[in-house]
Amino acid sequence: MNTVDASVVSMPRAQAAWKRLLLSEYLVLVLTVVYFLAMWTIVPEIATLDTQLDILSAMMPLLVVAIGQTFVLIVAGIDLSAPSIIAMASVVGASVLTGDGGYASGTGFEIAAGILAFIAVGCAIGTFNGICTTRFNMPSFIVTLTTMMFFSGAAIWYTTVHTDASSIGNLPRAFVAIGQDRVFGLPISLAVVLAVAGTAHFVLSRTVYGRWLYAVGLNPRAAAVSGIPVRRVIFWAFVISGMCAAIASILYTGRLETGTPVLGQRILLDVVGAAVIGGVSLFGGKGKILWTIFGVLFLTVIDKSLQLLGLPIASVFAIKGSIILSAAIIDAVRHRLLVRA
Amino acid sequence: MKLTRRDFTVGALIAAGTAGMPVFVKAQGTKTVALLFDSLVSPFWVSGIEIMRAKAKEYGWETLENISDFDDNKQFEHVKAMIGRKVDGILIIQTDSKAVIPAIRAANEANIPMVHFNRPPAESDAYSVAIQADNRKIMADTVEFLVSEAKKLGGKYKACLLIGDLGDVNAIQRRDGFFDVVDKNTDIIEVVARISTEWNADKAFAGLTNALQANPDINFLVTSSDFMHPQIEQVLQTAGKWHKRGEPGHVLFGGFDGDEGAYARLKDGYLDACGVQNLFLEVDMAFQAFKDMWDGKKPAKLLLDPGFVITQDNLAAKQEEMWGYVVWKKQNGG
Amino acid sequence: MPENNSQPLLAAEGLCKSFFGVEVLHKVGFSLQAGRVLGLVGENGSGKSTAMNIIGGVHQMDAGRIQFDGADYRPKGPRDAAKQGIAFIHQELNLFRNLSIAENLFITDFPKLVPGLPFIDRRAARASAAKLLAAVDLNLSPTTVVNRLSQGERQLVEIAKAIGGKARVIIFDEPTTSLTTRETGRLFDIINRLRQQGIAIIYISHILEDIMRLCDDIVVLRDGHVVGTAPKSEMTIEGMISLMVGRRIDQLFPPREAPVTPGTPVLEVRGLTQHGTVKDITFTLRAGEVLGLSGLMGAGRSELARILFGIDSFGSGEIVIQGTPVKTPTPAACMDHGMAFLTEDRRAEGLMMEAPIGHNIALSSLQTYASGLAGVIDRTRLDGDIAKISASVQIGARDIARTLVKNLSGGNQQKVVIGKWLLRAPRVFILDEPTRGIDVGAKNEVYKIINRLAAGGAGILMISSETEELIGMCDRIMVMAHGEIRATFERGGFNREEILRAAMWDGIRNAAQ
Repeated sequence: MNTVDASVVSMPRAQAAWKRLLLSEYLVLVLTVVYFLAMWTIVPEIATLDTQLDILSAMMPLLVVAIGQTFVLIVAGIDLSAPSIIAMASVVGASVLTGDGGYASGTGFEIAAGILAFIAVGCAIGTFNGICTTRFNMPSFIVTLTTMMFFSGAAIWYTTVHTDASSIGNLPRAFVAIGQDRVFGLPISLAVVLAVAGTAHFVLSRTVYGRWLYAVGLNPRAAAVSGIPVRRVIFWAFVISGMCAAIASILYTGRLETGTPVLGQRILLDVVGAAVIGGVSLFGGKGKILWTIFGVLFLTVIDKSLQLLGLPIASVFAIKGSIILSAAIIDAVRHRLLVRA
Repeated sequence: MKLTRRDFTVGALIAAGTAGMPVFVKAQGTKTVALLFDSLVSPFWVSGIEIMRAKAKEYGWETLENISDFDDNKQFEHVKAMIGRKVDGILIIQTDSKAVIPAIRAANEANIPMVHFNRPPAESDAYSVAIQADNRKIMADTVEFLVSEAKKLGGKYKACLLIGDLGDVNAIQRRDGFFDVVDKNTDIIEVVARISTEWNADKAFAGLTNALQANPDINFLVTSSDFMHPQIEQVLQTAGKWHKRGEPGHVLFGGFDGDEGAYARLKDGYLDACGVQNLFLEVDMAFQAFKDMWDGKKPAKLLLDPGFVITQDNLAAKQEEMWGYVVWKKQNGG
Repeated sequence: MPENNSQPLLAAEGLCKSFFGVEVLHKVGFSLQAGRVLGLVGENGSGKSTAMNIIGGVHQMDAGRIQFDGADYRPKGPRDAAKQGIAFIHQELNLFRNLSIAENLFITDFPKLVPGLPFIDRRAARASAAKLLAAVDLNLSPTTVVNRLSQGERQLVEIAKAIGGKARVIIFDEPTTSLTTRETGRLFDIINRLRQQGIAIIYISHILEDIMRLCDDIVVLRDGHVVGTAPKSEMTIEGMISLMVGRRIDQLFPPREAPVTPGTPVLEVRGLTQHGTVKDITFTLRAGEVLGLSGLMGAGRSELARILFGIDSFGSGEIVIQGTPVKTPTPAACMDHGMAFLTEDRRAEGLMMEAPIGHNIALSSLQTYASGLAGVIDRTRLDGDIAKISASVQIGARDIARTLVKNLSGGNQQKVVIGKWLLRAPRVFILDEPTRGIDVGAKNEVYKIINRLAAGGAGILMISSETEELIGMCDRIMVMAHGEIRATFERGGFNREEILRAAMWDGIRNAAQ
């Protein structure tokens, strides 16, 4: 503790400790730990090493998408197209990679070509989103909603052009390894995600572009008057988000050994939810990679615990809803404290 | 105002200390089976899971459930969670026949038997058992009954088939079953319309409307799934062709699945025959497969449910075996 | 003359109020008589607004008592206060902008067709709205949507609403900040009329000339204490200022430390025209010069500044910054040529309110501190320079890296904006209303900074609505009206009346016709 304000000191110690916890940026992590311990008594399997590793690998793709989303949320936008980017990249990438007549199959550089295809799809859709939002001043909600619809459909169409089946399989083993294999007991995907998270954290906290992102989110007019290229800043946020979704698509596709046009269709709420639970503001200007990581961890632990419980679906939704609601209430209380402090 | 690393360590240590608490102990010898569905959107799946729950209870097994909401990745997570719970068997209804393969491998690795219910996986080196209705044969039997009715009534017939999504093995097999019989009876039946519905009720509606405009004299109709009955009824009614058996202008009508709507239309005399997937038998077969695998046996990768055809002739005798009848009875306060 | 009996209409004594352990009001007392105007002055944070918020029912007092019309008065909330006859006209007006004037006037209490039933009698509403608008000389249809009104007209609607609510006390909080001179004059006429009708007025303002012109009694607050109460006849502007700041300011406008010797031109504007805003603007700003830009609201001063800094586009003309013609100015291009621009609305365009001081100061200079392809910021160097800048503009905050700008007073916020530009060491600095809404002490400090910049060889273009301020600070004053420069005055030839006349040329000409 390097700063202690007077009101905290004057309170009884226990109360002060509670307040300190509530105001801490580690609050979501603490809540996760508390929840985890409570669940431990009900499903002890949650504490096994295998489950821990499962949680870790389940987190990874979601986290990459959420990191991309964080960039867009910081400039007060939203990227609803992430799921369709995942799906589109998955089928395009798989069509390049697949042993069943893939474009790059048998060339010897199919892995590189495939990964390039994934990233290219992500960047292309992100670029489109960015251009529409910045050049035509359209709200990102509308732009990305329409790209989501368009590319969800396009992914299915693309699949039907390439195969009679509903998905593209037979992907090379070396590619599948990215999503599935472990090195020294840790998922390879972890290394990918750590690299992405580390870079994102560095960009946000240390670079000019990072500071510009926050400035544009906090007050775009003041940013423009201060000579910041507001449109360019927003544009790149969407490209980054698209690229992150494409990286997530690589992990998902590798894990399932299949390029499918319905990949990730349901993760949007988890992505935005995780970022917001972590503390990223939907109104822009506020967000950290660490917060997003905590948010994703929180949701993944809840999901995994509910999966382990194996309850009928109605109760699963009720439980998940009430947990997220309590987290939101705690956050509201914390916000009130922060405003007063 | 920050929580320091030291605070955190202290918290973690306290947490670790309290962790050695007594936990629920699973009753010895009880089997636990995981039921992993991809959705509960149609009566077929709702009935299926209810039958499974009841049957498991009868055997004294515990069940765990997870619904993936058509998300292949989430379902993979479910399989891993169930492996984490060390269940004794995993029954799965996957969305994509290829994307499920890593899940089968994971189950193989953990040595947990896996059974696919109603949808077989794509070819792979991984081992699992799939229970599937013998679509082709059931469909052929159904059409056979309709043909015999047609012969009894005499005259020539113009036929129409509503086909499912050709990406789905089930749809292809049912189509083939239809033509197995029709191709042998070209003297009295001419197929004038094949409607590709892609398992979409709206497309079925539009396709059938168009077919009836082109061939108003269609009088022999088969659908690859019963869920399209309401659309069929509506189109036929509009065209003035919705008549009971024995009434003039009745269209010979065959269905597939055996849901509660099919039962009601059979009972009312609009539907002549319906190929029934024997849901009760399929659950029995799935659970038997688990038992066999627990005993160290290795059942075949694909087990077929022979199903049966329910017709106006055997309705009273067979209805108890028809899952749609059970649903119907419940809905109608039976 | 209004009645002036000794029984006060509203009397407060011993008002105390603390927020989170910080006392903002300490035993504040004052009294108000029917038909008189009480002026309330004090620096920002002196407790004026808090005291008025207690009377208006927004806050509850911790201790003390208020007597209203001989009875104890302790409003439960703003609505309760309004019901008892106390109206509070806030600085940010509380009108629903998408509703009509009539709807706004009766939003809480529409006339009903049948008493007790929720059916609005629109005709009656319009008729009584028209009557209320006449009372404030507002010649508009009651069905006009508030969105289409000017700031001054909206204020009159608020006053009409207060009259309609049978208010006996009306509190004005900085009512003239966003009004034109003409609108201000109209407002004062109406306040005088209200006074004659026996309504008591509390008038809060930074503009001491207005206080002297309008008020009967004056109360001066400093740090939550009443430091002076006197009838106007016993008070002077100098006296109010010294009471407010607690020290004597001999001169509000500090003298130039260096003799003014205008140097080379740093900004040359020739024939700048943009349809509808500015017309044929030509002037030269030299190094070391403070050039004032006077004019009424809407004369095109801010619009000119925005064009010069590349925020808005222009039709024809030429802008030369430090000898380089800038063909298509953008903020970034202008900044590269050494220009800086302090906007008139610091909340909307100058600051990130939710960010700390340091981030705000760094905002326009980040690239200067970045290296490499990734643009990594040299934080040590940046933080060092930020500390130097914030010390030189004397921002009153303990922790530059953590204190959020929204928690600063107006004066300190303005210093943050100035600091942001000083970090770039600008050669041309356009200041649009640099002292708006900040207290006397901070104003003085801003003046000193401007002098220091000019002494350092920067050219300053200073836009202000306070003619006194321009006369006190500038070497030359240009007066704009209707998008044109109508007159230029040299120091020594400054004349308040002449300047005003030039600004209002059209008004006078129209009146003469």
